[in-house]
Amino acid sequence: MKLTTKLYLIATLLVVLVLLAIPREDKIFSALGIKDTSLKLRLGLDLQGGASLTYQADLSKVSTQDKAKAIDGVINVINKRVNSTGTSEVVVQTSGSDRVNVQLPGVNDVDQAIGLIGKTAQLQFLSVSPEGIPAATDVNGEDLESATADIDTQNGQPIVSFQMKGSATQKFADLTKNINRQGGRLLIILDNEPLFNGTVSSPITDGKGQMSGFKDLKVAKETSLLLNAGALPVPISLVEQRTVGATLGQESIQRSLFAGLIGLVAVLVFMIAYYRLAGLVAAAALVMYTLITIDIFKLSGITQSPIVLTLAGIAGFILSIGMAVDANILIFERMKEEIRAGSSVAVGMDAGFKRAWTSIRDSNISTLITCLILYISGIPVIKGFAVTLAIGVLVSMFTAITISKTFMQAVVRTKIGSKPSSYRIKEETIQ
Amino acid sequence: MNIVGKRKIWFMISILLVLPGTIALFVWGLKPGIDFTGGQELEVSGQTTQSQLHDIVAKVGVKDITVTTSGNDRLLVRYSDQGLDKELGDSQQIRQNIRTLLTQQSLTETSFSSVGPAVSRDVTRSAILGVAMASLAILLYIAFAFRNTPPPVSPWSFGATAIIALLHDALFVLGIFAILGHFFGVQVDALFVTAILTVIGFSVHDTIVVYDRIRENLRRLNKPFEEIVNISINETLARSLNTSITVIIVLLAFYLFGGESIKYFILALLIGIISGTYSSIFNASPLLVVYNNWKIKKAKAVK
Repeated sequence: MKLTTKLYLIATLLVVLVLLAIPREDKIFSALGIKDTSLKLRLGLDLQGGASLTYQADLSKVSTQDKAKAIDGVINVINKRVNSTGTSEVVVQTSGSDRVNVQLPGVNDVDQAIGLIGKTAQLQFLSVSPEGIPAATDVNGEDLESATADIDTQNGQPIVSFQMKGSATQKFADLTKNINRQGGRLLIILDNEPLFNGTVSSPITDGKGQMSGFKDLKVAKETSLLLNAGALPVPISLVEQRTVGATLGQESIQRSLFAGLIGLVAVLVFMIAYYRLAGLVAAAALVMYTLITIDIFKLSGITQSPIVLTLAGIAGFILSIGMAVDANILIFERMKEEIRAGSSVAVGMDAGFKRAWTSIRDSNISTLITCLILYISGIPVIKGFAVTLAIGVLVSMFTAITISKTFMQAVVRTKIGSKPSSYRIKEETIQ
Repeated sequence: MNIVGKRKIWFMISILLVLPGTIALFVWGLKPGIDFTGGQELEVSGQTTQSQLHDIVAKVGVKDITVTTSGNDRLLVRYSDQGLDKELGDSQQIRQNIRTLLTQQSLTETSFSSVGPAVSRDVTRSAILGVAMASLAILLYIAFAFRNTPPPVSPWSFGATAIIALLHDALFVLGIFAILGHFFGVQVDALFVTAILTVIGFSVHDTIVVYDRIRENLRRLNKPFEEIVNISINETLARSLNTSITVIIVLLAFYLFGGESIKYFILALLIGIISGTYSSIFNASPLLVVYNNWKIKKAKAVK
């Protein structure tokens, strides 16, 4: 490929990268006719505020082959429970083989969410004889079609009305007919809490029922929510909880961005001061590197596994800046050596890239191995760090051998670029 | 600069730097945070002092309370919620009680973490396994990457000496945190493990660059091994220092301006990377010479 072609390609790449990287890129895309791009940096809860809850599922009574199914059931029920509260972007996922992690961004009342998620919500219908002896029946929570909370228009009391499934209407009619004939009572229990305990004035044949006696409408609403979402297939318990206030998250991201910017600018200044013209090339490559990395983070959002940027992730990204600069430093030091040994700038530059490559490759592979092992460790905070560091290392290798090289090839053809003094090489040190 | 020739001085400096921390590590150990022990941790902002906050939390009846500052007039409280009387209620109840007390004193909770014993056990196991696996993988990788090294050095000696340099850096960071933990109550968390592993990665990264040059020079120059190592270190010196300077610049920016919650993480990285730069220049490669001389001596003794 000709050098000018390469430069044009890089210029095109730069335009695309900038378009993707700027914060309000969706505005530009919709102006261009591309609608509904969901490109955005996914921020972790430590940066945007929210709660991360990890639950341990009790699988001791589940056979080995049903374990995965039970976990899926737990995720499904939790999803129904939390998503009906109107909280946006709740993520419920497995964490290891027997744990479920719930990510609640920006939730104000974490305790309410905890109360809601942790309940088993086992609904039982019991038949109580006139003597007061309760007996189990064949009607349970799975027979319920839906439940709604409301205010009784007659007495202003909160109520929950429910509707049985079509298939269970007959079962429920038989049960109520039986209780009515015996003169007994119907007892409805949700996780050992009685929801209804009373006589049945007439058999219920339409599968509709109503329960009252709730403390307030909020409790009634919670109850109807639990009834609608169904019972958890296995009991779960909260084993880990991390909550970060929105203000703290905001502060963390602002300070990190500021620190990152200062760090980046300081590195650019150092590189230019030390390597002069080559430093300028490294600075340009570093800017490209930063843009590519941000774009990868944003583009991952439309894939199956979006990269969530956490505080540890930012640290990984920052550290990879160091690695990105290292590739350039390795090349430039090598290039200086070659020029000092008597090569022309152009020849020295070529040799510099060639000779530095094994060092860049070997050292970066060892970092990638570390990243892989960090990722396998499975500790969430560590995984976030490993992912961004690995991406940074890969992108930095790419920018060093393509973008830096193309820029350098262009630079050495210019008049200033062909002079050793432009790279802070003193004439008298050249052999 | 004759680095290899003065290697005894460099080794001495290393021992002097690493020894106090290592002793601290064995005598006092690290202060494990809730990631490893389980328990609860909350950050509080508002008008209060460390002892006041300690007393507020103590009222609830939890054990092992520690209060530390967290910059920006915030305080961090950690306590154990395990093995308490049933009357205190479960972890969730304890948290509620503390929160009520805080609200009465018009203090606000800015963040809260609770880690159960099962989770902390897993984190501890993964952390130990991670460090061990990373070291092993690096040793194997270096031996593989340097498999074609011309004599007199064996590929394994590259791996082994790189591991010694890596242990030097890990011990240095661990030691400093043992000292910080003893005197300032600084605790280590899952992020600290990341820092250690990153330091290990960086140390090896740095060492490999020098080794790479040694291998190249072994092919090119016809000189004694000791001299080749010294030439190689000098040739890569500017690169080692400049790379470390850029990483240190970025980390320093983060240490000074970044958020409080990653301050000690950044500090661990800073210390480790400075140590890593030193060890790759002054320890790893001179050790190759020591190892090589020892092998020659042994071979002669056998004859």
